[in-house]
Amino acid sequence: MRYLRLWRLFALTELQFELAYRVNFVLGFVEMFLVVGTSIAAVLVLFSHTTALNGWSLDQMLVLLGVYYLIQGVVNLVLTPSFERLMEHVRLGTLDFLLLKPVNAQFLVSTRHLRVVRGMDLLLGVAVLLVGLSRMDDQLGLGAAFLFVLTLGLGLVAVYAMLLALVTLSFWFVRVENLLAIFWAFTDAGRFPVDIYPGWLRLTLSTVVPIGIAVTAPAEAVVGSLTVGTFALLAAGTAVAFGFAAWFWRRGLRSYTGASA
Amino acid sequence: MIRAYRALFVAGIQQAAQYRIQYTLYVLFSVIRPIIFLAAWAAVATGQGGRVGDFTAEDFAGYYIALTIVIHLTTAWNSLEFELEVRQGRLSPKLLRPLHPLHYSVVENIIWKVTTLPPLVAVLALIAWTFGARFATTPLHLVLFVPSIVLAAALRFLAGWCVASLAFWFTRIQTANTLFDRTAFIFAGSIAPISLLPPILQTAAYVMPFGYMLFVPAEILRGGVTASVALLLIGGQVLWLAATFALLRVVWRAGVRTYSSVGA
Amino acid sequence: MPPVVVVRDLAKTYRVSERQEGLGATLRSIFDRTYRDVPAVAGISFEIEAGEVVGFLGPNGAGKTTTLKMLSGLLHPTAGAARVLGHVPWERAHAYLRLMTLLMGNRTQLVWDIPAADSLRVLQEIYRIDDVTYRRVLSDLVELLELGPLLHKPVRQLSLGERMKVEFAAGLIHSPAVAFLDEPTIGLDVTMQVRIRQFIREHNRRSGATILLTSHYMDDIVALCKRVLVIHHGRLLYDGGLADLAERMAPHKLIAATLHDSAAGTDLSRYGTIVGNEAGRVTLRVSRAEAPEVTARLVHDLGEGLADLSLQDPPIEEVIDRVFSGEALPT
Repeated sequence: MRYLRLWRLFALTELQFELAYRVNFVLGFVEMFLVVGTSIAAVLVLFSHTTALNGWSLDQMLVLLGVYYLIQGVVNLVLTPSFERLMEHVRLGTLDFLLLKPVNAQFLVSTRHLRVVRGMDLLLGVAVLLVGLSRMDDQLGLGAAFLFVLTLGLGLVAVYAMLLALVTLSFWFVRVENLLAIFWAFTDAGRFPVDIYPGWLRLTLSTVVPIGIAVTAPAEAVVGSLTVGTFALLAAGTAVAFGFAAWFWRRGLRSYTGASA
Repeated sequence: MIRAYRALFVAGIQQAAQYRIQYTLYVLFSVIRPIIFLAAWAAVATGQGGRVGDFTAEDFAGYYIALTIVIHLTTAWNSLEFELEVRQGRLSPKLLRPLHPLHYSVVENIIWKVTTLPPLVAVLALIAWTFGARFATTPLHLVLFVPSIVLAAALRFLAGWCVASLAFWFTRIQTANTLFDRTAFIFAGSIAPISLLPPILQTAAYVMPFGYMLFVPAEILRGGVTASVALLLIGGQVLWLAATFALLRVVWRAGVRTYSSVGA
Repeated sequence: MPPVVVVRDLAKTYRVSERQEGLGATLRSIFDRTYRDVPAVAGISFEIEAGEVVGFLGPNGAGKTTTLKMLSGLLHPTAGAARVLGHVPWERAHAYLRLMTLLMGNRTQLVWDIPAADSLRVLQEIYRIDDVTYRRVLSDLVELLELGPLLHKPVRQLSLGERMKVEFAAGLIHSPAVAFLDEPTIGLDVTMQVRIRQFIREHNRRSGATILLTSHYMDDIVALCKRVLVIHHGRLLYDGGLADLAERMAPHKLIAATLHDSAAGTDLSRYGTIVGNEAGRVTLRVSRAEAPEVTARLVHDLGEGLADLSLQDPPIEEVIDRVFSGEALPT
């Protein structure tokens, strides 16, 4: 509860700052609109030649794309700005100040900064998701809706965990930005169902860069094609990833404060 | 002029040597986006009984590999840097030097491309093998590819500078960049070979300059067009290059005038 | 009341991996690293009572910042123990973190792009300060530091001195009982240094907070600290009153003799080393032990020619310099 209040305050502070530059804010929104709009156009072009992509209809693809931008939105809204700052803090030595605050340090470095404009794709993602849902023949059942929220949450945590683990590397290495750039490049692949990709890429998108499974599983939940196997894999994978990331983060902190030497 | 270029090259290569790891990593992720659409089209082709229009799954592989090479050879990111230079006032010292800032960009770009080509080709060979890429390239195509890629690189380079020149007037040109990139994303052949776009978009793509930056050289490299069509497309490239060059001259002159009158 | 800070044989040794040039060596070093131990703090002990302002002196690399970081909880020591307000600092218990602050003159904890007022609001929530207390503390800080309009400007628009003032506000908003200040006046102009000094003194007087501060500027120490800790090569060389420092560490005293015109030009070099001679005022350096006797002889020998005579300790900067350059050792 306290952490929710804190986060709300972080958000309000940053929103205030961004609104001070109204033109940038509006232009930022226009940019996100262009990006999402052209991505949908790309899907429409694909579907002008087919009615199904590996079993996914156009409406189902829209749902998937909506989930993709929803996740991207959360990542861009909170994680990217916060982690970028974290790496800067490590470089400048100002992480010290964060560690001396009477708040969970992992929470602080993961959520302290937001970029509201970049989070616009979250809204657009929800919109695309709703359009896709409304065009589907079947009504969304309560069970499917529950499963959707659950898998979406799991997927988000998985993506968060892998990002945190990557960023934690900056305790030992200077140029983690390069690794992050690769992470982002792979993230692009989340816009299509993960099963269209060749094996090595599918594996990457379900493990190291779990965006693939994080997007596909919730979409499958809505569409009704989510298998027990996929769900179990996601749940177990997320638990492992989160546990690992939290452990790795503490390990990094210990090394930073000289406790492990 | 030649001597100036030689000096710039020597300095540039020394600088580039320090960024070896970045280069290799860049190559790794520059191939991912083409693979995404390649995988999507391959899935569509398989679902449609093996082909979409004239393209089989193997043709798509050939096309997207050719496209990746073309993207690599024609990428010009210096114009983004330019925006920063204008904003931070770093441009002034360069304007004072007797060499147009454009030449620095030319050199940096060429060095970048040459250093990153070997790892890129290695990765692409692996992908070609995974997807069973098919090329219909004849020696004649390769001959035609040379002028086509040079024209495409020049066109993309100058067009990027046209957009970057907006920085003379506006403090934030990110939106213009995004607009440019995303329009290119649709019309340059990234999401699909232009010949597979819906009719209206296809017409638009042949009229707009974007296809001449990527699609045209990529199709020639893949051997996807006959020699006479290729010549026609190269003619289009020449026209667009001339138009862009003229536009840049006008915009750049007006821009420098504005910039120096502001006195930054 | 027990001491606020208790330090026993505290030591910190950094392990530094030796880097070799070249790609091959870099790759080898991933598997087989060679380390070198660099002792930063080599076993120090001291105590600080509640409400004291203690100066921490030492040249660069003496171990001051390392000690402050251990006491604030950022670094684990290699050996030894420390308690601050009864807490082991490096456990970073939230209860402890709420009671202390660490301010570093060369680093900022403020968010660059937003006004400090917003950062302070976030700090209020982080430290869970109730509104009444928050408003009272903030208005005190605004008054003492003359913050006024500074709080509402984005931090990046502030001058270095203004930023440091705001930094103090951010570091003290939770009314910490212990404050570690690492070079709080570094890089500031003289006027601003004086202002910050006045603030620290006034804050200590009003809040009774215990303060341990390091500074390159002796003026800071002289103005603020009755007691100093001198650290060199990771060892504590001196712990005691500032006034006694010179006596303990300087092996000599200075005699300033002002001569009347009648005696001007008298050669005084046989009494001691002449270190200054201007406008009839001669400064002699004599060993501490001989000082009383030389003084007596001067008075006797010069008689009427002597206008004024004074016996002084050498300036504190000079004493410290000599300690750090290895010329003087504690007695």
